[in-house]
Amino acid sequence: MTGTDTAKTATNTAEAATGAGRTGPVFAVRDLWKVFGPRAQRIPGNPEYAGLSAGELRERTGCTAAVRDVSFEVKRGEVFVVMGLSGSGKSTLVRTLTRLIEPTSGSIAIDGEDVLAMDKNRLRELRRHQTAMVFQNFGLLPHRTVLDNVAYGLEIQGMGKAERRAKAMEVVAKVGLEGLEQRRPVQLSGGQQQRVGLARALAVDPEVLLFDEPFSALDPLIRRDMQEEVIRLHREEGRTMVFITHDLSEALRLGDRIMLMRDGGIVQLGTPEEIVANPADDYVRDFVRDVAREQVISVRRAMRQADGDEATTGAAIAPDTLVVDAIEAVARTGAHCRVVEGNRTLGVVDESQLLAVVAGLDGDAGEPRGKAVAAV
Amino acid sequence: MSAPTLERPAKTAAPGAPQPPGTLARLAAHPKAVLLVLAALVAVVSAAVAGSGEWPADLTVDVRTPLTDFNEWLVDNRTTHPLFLYFLLHISNTAESAVDGVFSGLESLGFLGVTVAAVLIAWYAGGAGLRKRALVTAGTALGTFGLIGLLGMWEPAMDTLSLMVVCVAVAALVGVLLGLLAGLSDRAERMLRPVFDTMQVLPAFSYLLPFVLIFGIGVPSAFVATVIYAVPPMARLTALGLRGADPAALEASASLGANAWQRLWTARLPLARKQMLLGLNQTIMMSLSMVVLATIIGAGGLGEPIYKALAVVDVGLALPPGVAIVLLAIWLDRTTAAAGERLDDPDEGVRSARTAWILRAVVVAGVAAATAVGSALGKQEWPESWVVSIADPVNDVTGWIERELSAGIPLLGGTQTWADGFAEYVLNPLRSALVGTPWWALLLVAGMIAYAVGRLRAALTVVLALGVIGAMGLWTRSMDTLSQVIAALALTLLIGFAIGVLAARVGWVERVIRPVLDTLQTMPQFVYLIPMIALFSGGRFAGVAASVLYALPAVIRITTQGIRQIDPSALEAARSLGASTGQQLRQVQLPLARPALLLAVNQGVVLVLSMVVIAGMIGGGALGVDVVKGLTKGDLALGLTAGIAIVCLGVLLDRITQPAAVRERTAR
Repeated sequence: MTGTDTAKTATNTAEAATGAGRTGPVFAVRDLWKVFGPRAQRIPGNPEYAGLSAGELRERTGCTAAVRDVSFEVKRGEVFVVMGLSGSGKSTLVRTLTRLIEPTSGSIAIDGEDVLAMDKNRLRELRRHQTAMVFQNFGLLPHRTVLDNVAYGLEIQGMGKAERRAKAMEVVAKVGLEGLEQRRPVQLSGGQQQRVGLARALAVDPEVLLFDEPFSALDPLIRRDMQEEVIRLHREEGRTMVFITHDLSEALRLGDRIMLMRDGGIVQLGTPEEIVANPADDYVRDFVRDVAREQVISVRRAMRQADGDEATTGAAIAPDTLVVDAIEAVARTGAHCRVVEGNRTLGVVDESQLLAVVAGLDGDAGEPRGKAVAAV
Repeated sequence: MSAPTLERPAKTAAPGAPQPPGTLARLAAHPKAVLLVLAALVAVVSAAVAGSGEWPADLTVDVRTPLTDFNEWLVDNRTTHPLFLYFLLHISNTAESAVDGVFSGLESLGFLGVTVAAVLIAWYAGGAGLRKRALVTAGTALGTFGLIGLLGMWEPAMDTLSLMVVCVAVAALVGVLLGLLAGLSDRAERMLRPVFDTMQVLPAFSYLLPFVLIFGIGVPSAFVATVIYAVPPMARLTALGLRGADPAALEASASLGANAWQRLWTARLPLARKQMLLGLNQTIMMSLSMVVLATIIGAGGLGEPIYKALAVVDVGLALPPGVAIVLLAIWLDRTTAAAGERLDDPDEGVRSARTAWILRAVVVAGVAAATAVGSALGKQEWPESWVVSIADPVNDVTGWIERELSAGIPLLGGTQTWADGFAEYVLNPLRSALVGTPWWALLLVAGMIAYAVGRLRAALTVVLALGVIGAMGLWTRSMDTLSQVIAALALTLLIGFAIGVLAARVGWVERVIRPVLDTLQTMPQFVYLIPMIALFSGGRFAGVAASVLYALPAVIRITTQGIRQIDPSALEAARSLGASTGQQLRQVQLPLARPALLLAVNQGVVLVLSMVVIAGMIGGGALGVDVVKGLTKGDLALGLTAGIAIVCLGVLLDRITQPAAVRERTAR
């Protein structure tokens, strides 16, 4: 078992190395484990413990597997959301990426470079220049001004005072904190404090931004503002982001892809639409039950074959159009819409298709639920 | 004889068994309580039968002869032995010349220069500018030095201040270094913590004894003892600050790639600033207390006139230096506290580096100007003509108190009547009971109480402590001291709990007594003796009263805080069920505040005991007087054994008042 694991790891790093540069994935994580507890090293890959639930494992070994055999890749420029309830291991996972927490086993590569093989200095360089993190509790230094907090990362890099302050000023403006540069963190609201945290991370111009539940300490309206801020920044800069959250709507709103975690393992990894439309198991289905499906699922998934002259009549919409927008179009015209990609009509949607999505009767979403009920 | 012996076990059993022994069934449920009652019974019966229970002579060990020999050897070799020549003498010479240097520095500044320096530094610490805090601290400094001069205490105050400056500088430096060690390394913390814990329980004078032995009487002993006495708070609070830093901030620092040095310098230390300033404040206050106390080993300064005045019971002479000490204490406390408050103040804004330098330049320039003006006017020393003597009016008042208040006031009696009554009806019976009980029965009871509240280890420690006292041949004298300590402790707790509960429940009481407690807690122990001399003109009761006054603030404060900090929803629930005030107190507040109350008892023990020696100076007698004699006359056999006996009593009382659970929690 361990033999094949090492073999896999080896080939993976080799692949990653060849695929390095600016095109491959930013992070490539393979078979990652983080186990807390006595003699944690014996747990990963051990078939004896493989089938145990988290509770059984703790009872048998006294160990907790916070991250359990996780493999994924973060593509360049995407917002990769890791979602799960508290205790699912997501915060531990994001910390292992830059070895703020040392993983127990597995491999992590950033731009194809093996993170676990890095020595202290290289690791420090990685943290100084390639990644930057935004924390749930902000982690600001109360004795410094907003400006000096934002410039903190640059100071650690060894940048001179005038230069780093000038650079920090730019970032302060970018996150909408103009005029507050000379305030202390205690004088700011929670949302403003997190803007400082965000600015501090942006100031070092990192390749990847890591967010650890950055907005869960904020109240809902401010949280929405901040989410929009992140979306705007991503649109403007296209920076890769790894975003940890326990809030499904936040995940759906921000994520290009979402990785759902439970008890340290991956339950499902896919686009928001895939996760809502095709839940991998009952746990995920339960999770996404209350989602407004029409706001996540696109017409590509809802359309049917065109009948007769339908392919030439009706308003044209793109296949990525969300169902909610299609509903508006259909309601306005009173007729069906054509789903058009380029010059080709892929299919049509009318009221019944769109209503099926809203009701959750489309495709396989309704079917397995029926099966589950039958099985009980 | 039988009446007092009956009274005693009931008293000693009280702290051990929180619930009154009710029915046999309830007793049976608590085997420890049964053992305790049995031990008490044995003690009472044996005391009634034996009538006297002194420690047997054949169980004592002669420790005085070797101690005296050792002392003589030290005196003979102090100038010749290599250990002294190449190590200890360097310390004492350096200390001495440093203190002299600071003193001549203060002298050359002149009284104007010193006053202006004190005012400007206080102003700067308070945040500078025209802020209220800065002006108030500056005003405090001005008032302090002006009054010290007016009272004719300038010269001794500068003596005290010079010794203080050197001691605080060294203690703060050592404290920060040890604090860094304990804050950054778990192993160092595990090693240092028990040392600091022990040091905090030891009474101040016990630091003087060993250094008098090594350095002889004078400034070096005072310096070393003060530094060692004052280091723990600085070290402890530095470590606490370093360990208590916001983990998110530290993680943020790590995630940005800070190395260990950057993390310490940019995050850990700045985040610990507030705690470190608090540590500096405590170190300064403890230094002042010790420097004043060190007068009895010839350190000079403000303590000296008090010490002399106490010997001849002259309140008029003792009051000016006493007031000067209190003023110094308030000035030092306010200045360092203001510096701490400034960190919390968000309105403080940010001072650019240039403004900060300008302000510092203002301070230096102001001091220089004042010095120049002073020397130009030819006024270096505080002018004689500006001194107001308050000795005579004060003595008139004291005389009036003695004549009018000492006895014969209808219904109330009088101060002397109270003192005599307390001695006759409380202290004497208590002492007879302790002396009358056979030593082995006392050991048994003490061991049982310690076992009941703590563990077997506590019981063994207690028995051992009493054994050491007996073996040194100090049984009777120690029992005398113990009776005074127990009486003072009982009085302290009675008054302290009453006021503490009142302050916790009634808002305005708390607001009124808070500044009073603040002031009382900053005053050095020595100062408490002066009013007691005025009111009771010495004796055992005066000593007990001084101890009570000294220990009260801490007990009141801990009680109030303990009761205030209980879960408010529990109290709200009781109130919503219609509980009366008494029910709220009995059923919710006191039970929930129990850990705090136990801590208050323990603090009371430590503080009362630390006053024993000082009370010895005004007629407390017994061990206290032995220590004072030993320290002043260089009779170390006498002083050291009595000192060890007091520390043993301290260990005894500490162990039987501090349940294992509380010990563990405070340790964390």
